[in-house]
Amino acid sequence: MAGQGTKPKILILATEDCAYPGANSVGQAHLAYADNVYVLRTREPAMFPEKFYLDCFAKGIAGIIIMSCGVECPYEGAYPALSKRIDRVYVSMKERGLDPRRLRLTAICTVCNRAFINEVKKMNDVVSELGMPGEEKMATAAA
Amino acid sequence: MTPAESAEFDTLVLGAGIAGLQTALDLADQGFKVAVVERDPSIGGKMIRLSKVFPTLDCASCITTPKMAAAAHHDNITLFTLCELDKLVRDEGGLVATINQKPRYVDIDLCTGCRECEYACPTFVPDHEQGGFTSRKAIYVPFSNAVPQKAVMDPENCWICGKEGGQCFKVCPTGAINYFDKPSQFTIRARTAVLATGYELIPDYTEKAFGPAGRQPNLITSLQMERLLAPHGPYMRVLRPSDGKEPDSIAFIQCAGSRDLTLGVPYCSRVCCMYSIKQAMLLSGALPMADITIYYMDIRAFGKNYEQFYQNAKAMGVEFVKAKPTVAGAGENGGVVVRYEDQEGGGGGRDREYDLVVQALAIVPAWNPTGICDVGVAEDGFIQSIHPKFAPTLTKMEGVFTAGVAIGPKDIVDTIIEAGAAAMEVSNYLTETAKPATVDA
Amino acid sequence: MTAEDSKKKPAGDEKVAVYICHCGGNISDHVDVEALERMAAEMPGVTVSRRNHFMCSDPGQNMIIEDLKAGKADRIVVASCSPALHETTFRRAAQRAGVNPYLYEHANIREQVSWVHHGDGATAKAAALVGAAVAKARALQPLEPIRVEAIRHATVIGGGIAGLKAARDLAIRGVKVALVEKTPFLGGNFAKLDRVYPTQEKAGDLLTGLAAAVLAHPSITVLTCAEMIASEGYVGDFKLKVKRQPPQDAEDLDKLIQLKQAGTAKGTFVPFVGILPFDVPVGEETVDLATGAVVLATGFKHYTPPKGMYGYGDNPEVITLPDLIKLMAEDTAGGGTLQVNGRPIKTMAMIRCVGSRQIPGIHEPDEKGNLNEYCSRVCCTATLQADRELREKYPETVIYDFYRDIRAYGRGHEEYYVGASRDGVLFVRFEADAAPAVARAPEGSESPLSITAKDTLLSGQDLEIPVDLVVLAVGMVPSDVSSIVDIMKLPVGADRFLLEVHPKLRPVELATTGILLAGTCQAPMDSTEAAQGATAASVKAATILSRGFVELDPYVAAVNADLCTGTGACVETCPHSGCITLVDAAGGKGRMAKVNPALCTGCGMCVAVCPNIAIEVNGWTLRQYEAMVDAIVGEPIVAEAE
Repeated sequence: MAGQGTKPKILILATEDCAYPGANSVGQAHLAYADNVYVLRTREPAMFPEKFYLDCFAKGIAGIIIMSCGVECPYEGAYPALSKRIDRVYVSMKERGLDPRRLRLTAICTVCNRAFINEVKKMNDVVSELGMPGEEKMATAAA
Repeated sequence: MTPAESAEFDTLVLGAGIAGLQTALDLADQGFKVAVVERDPSIGGKMIRLSKVFPTLDCASCITTPKMAAAAHHDNITLFTLCELDKLVRDEGGLVATINQKPRYVDIDLCTGCRECEYACPTFVPDHEQGGFTSRKAIYVPFSNAVPQKAVMDPENCWICGKEGGQCFKVCPTGAINYFDKPSQFTIRARTAVLATGYELIPDYTEKAFGPAGRQPNLITSLQMERLLAPHGPYMRVLRPSDGKEPDSIAFIQCAGSRDLTLGVPYCSRVCCMYSIKQAMLLSGALPMADITIYYMDIRAFGKNYEQFYQNAKAMGVEFVKAKPTVAGAGENGGVVVRYEDQEGGGGGRDREYDLVVQALAIVPAWNPTGICDVGVAEDGFIQSIHPKFAPTLTKMEGVFTAGVAIGPKDIVDTIIEAGAAAMEVSNYLTETAKPATVDA
Repeated sequence: MTAEDSKKKPAGDEKVAVYICHCGGNISDHVDVEALERMAAEMPGVTVSRRNHFMCSDPGQNMIIEDLKAGKADRIVVASCSPALHETTFRRAAQRAGVNPYLYEHANIREQVSWVHHGDGATAKAAALVGAAVAKARALQPLEPIRVEAIRHATVIGGGIAGLKAARDLAIRGVKVALVEKTPFLGGNFAKLDRVYPTQEKAGDLLTGLAAAVLAHPSITVLTCAEMIASEGYVGDFKLKVKRQPPQDAEDLDKLIQLKQAGTAKGTFVPFVGILPFDVPVGEETVDLATGAVVLATGFKHYTPPKGMYGYGDNPEVITLPDLIKLMAEDTAGGGTLQVNGRPIKTMAMIRCVGSRQIPGIHEPDEKGNLNEYCSRVCCTATLQADRELREKYPETVIYDFYRDIRAYGRGHEEYYVGASRDGVLFVRFEADAAPAVARAPEGSESPLSITAKDTLLSGQDLEIPVDLVVLAVGMVPSDVSSIVDIMKLPVGADRFLLEVHPKLRPVELATTGILLAGTCQAPMDSTEAAQGATAASVKAATILSRGFVELDPYVAAVNADLCTGTGACVETCPHSGCITLVDAAGGKGRMAKVNPALCTGCGMCVAVCPNIAIEVNGWTLRQYEAMVDAIVGEPIVAEAE
């Protein structure tokens, strides 16, 4: 059980139409990725308010990847609304001293297994550079 | 999913490609009981094997898998895989279909799709699902998004590797392997049938047209290119087959067998222009420095947003040359030499060498009803329609309908619309011929 | 294999049963399922924790059913493969045990754990996912599918080939139909054809057959001279207002006079006019329709070239393809040479892609700024058909056919191209930026016009051809449906045709459930394709209406009356008009939001903007996600070693 308590955790919000099956396709191909990644199935991530993301960071989630259907989103108007909201979350993150790279909006399709692994790897690089949320704030202050 | 000895349905759909699945769903959603009979071990047809689809460039799997899942989970749909139609006749009670069940050598009810057998199997066989570019095992789940997710054994290549049964038999946690599975036959009674038997690429054109010059590993078919471009394809990137080199130059030969009275078929295959443009666009995304040429007779970009797609490809730098080239032979370092008449330039013959050449082979019917059911075949080889103008899905056999490429080449959008139309014609036939007691309230 | 007798822990009233699947080694080879079972037993709210080699097998499902029936649990979590494979299986198991199927949550510990992680981390992650699923399960509420009564009546707007076909299809299926046509006539643009490709049948014969079936069907009400002026409601229960009034359009009035003069009987097909089924109304009236689905079949118009394009409008010898079809159909004399206005046409030219395939920077937008970048799809084969008929009927008339690409794509179309080439039609290819130019011929020339062009296939050779007639193969533009678009808030594409939800997933549907697209209102298509589109739209309408009710997903937004303060933020953000409204709250406590579940797609955009979390999507609530995140970040549960 080594590392489970200490490794920074990454949350993935994956749409049930595109990205969640995409995450499964990685499993079907038996490709490995880091085990600090938790995929939550969503209908449409446009439902999450800004506060949800900020709370996640406050609770100790080190990185969040929103894996949407992108422009192929089946819900009218949802993707533009989501991407605008994420822009606002970035502003709030900066205000709180959170590195905006901790949150990423991307599109993953049902068979995008390489893209999925890439995203996970990139976010892991980011969180291992930054450490737990709040730590980079001190680093900035110290600089 | 176990074939009963005899089962009764409102409709039998032959073929579980996108046409068959859409027809089945549009009927089942109205409450009709549908049997879907598919000769492959998985449903999904050609579409599930494609990379991305024009003109939206969304991934084929993302469009197909929801329909496959909906059909697999539908209360009113029963799937029969590895089954072929032996005979379809009409008697006073309706249609009687004799179905040949091919052996799977795996008990479909016991198999959980865990793939332990596949990992254990020592035999490697070229994987046709991946264009023949990689290997699969002699027992295998057909492909990652196959429905049902069940293993199938290929008896041609299995050599029963152990004394008391093979590795697969030993590792299967549910005891699903059955080396003694045999072909069987069963009957389906239905009031109507829909033939959605799809297409294949013309098999002998390359040899006829190019002879020995066409026997080259880097001269591939458009469906092989689909696999090279698929995110879950054989190499997970675009590499040419002979040596795994990233191609720097790629040519597409249009009308390879289509619109060709002497060596191929006289008709237009209708989708090749658009999929080649799509493949060219995907390639220029994957290999931004590559030179891409499309040799064409006419660019037939006629559907909704297709012309705009074509113009985008031109703007992205894909080169379009009006010519019908031949393959002249092998070039240096695995290249393929294309010879064409330079109609737009100074005239005369020209040779150009490419790292990889893709032939847009003509579409021909995948199934011939002759001797199986009396629907009639038109001169072009596709199923005959008795009312081509306003109800092309009607055949001359009462209660038997058809949809999709079975009645002529067409793209996915037109196929899905035609499948819906076939479902409506079937529902109306079922409504009009219903016994008074069973007319829905 | 049970760990029921776990120590009591603080819990709410919910009793969660957790079932862990080995998947015959697929999971248990990488996840320590025994430890996982013990860990799950320690989780808050868990009363049962068990495992099985195959949860999806009958023994596995029976385990669930027995526990639920025995009252050991009131909701379940299954940790196994992807929910795509067995979510339905386990929901049904719950249902068989008499438990609401929505009191179920799935933990994906195969595709997202054992197949991608190995070693200790796999078990720890599986435990976190099970913990998250338990946390969500505790917050689940029972749900029921939403049932909307559907009136078994459909309204078809447009009486062309698509509208007639849709009306007939639906009536046969047992749906009552109102067919609303703007003009006094049935048949639309199809009535302006002579023979149709690829069968060479007479358009009039086909139309007569179809219209007769529609007019004779007792379930179909045809309303001519009628326009929809208002629409409200939702799938299964639309309320439309249709206004009938005496015809005002000059073309319609002219046709009516022609019919009167000819003394044509009502219901008879008249070439290039259509079928007048009834007398036109003398006064205005409004008809109210209560209808379950609406099929839009509003059709197209032929592109009208602006004055000066290829000499159109400046020269009487420049006409359009529809003009030519009418000329040929009305010319019963025949003879070696086509005659137009008494003038023999020795040489003529077809020019294709007029008003189609326009390219920014090459073609000029019209006065409204529109450029028709699309291909009109039908003109190629229609022109080839005209080529062939001309060569057959007037063998001495020489035809030059100027094209960019010949798009004879359909079944039986290529034959027209092969035939026209064989019959001696001279095809000349041009590039979009070097289109042929039409001008008056110089004084003394035998022909009135002259065409200059570059033949791209003859090394760009310059051609100058004297011609007697120029025929422009004009494309299609959508009918003016701006008022319907406004009334029903319909999406329109960049090409100005109505825009379907998705060309492959839902090709004949609009985002508003119950409004369907048939034929050329959606894109250029020929009459076969328009009829197919109509039939495909009919099947969608029939699916909605044939059972008398529509069952919709329960995953829709719901308002918590205790928390809602009536800010209206949800109303503003909701993309579906009329889906969320503000109403008076009970007990005079101001305003509150109310959701019409029939219009809600469950996208959850409203959830994100509510300041009080007073609106949530059933089955996917924000509170459930928060509980899942808490479970994931919480301290790892360590099971006591046995």
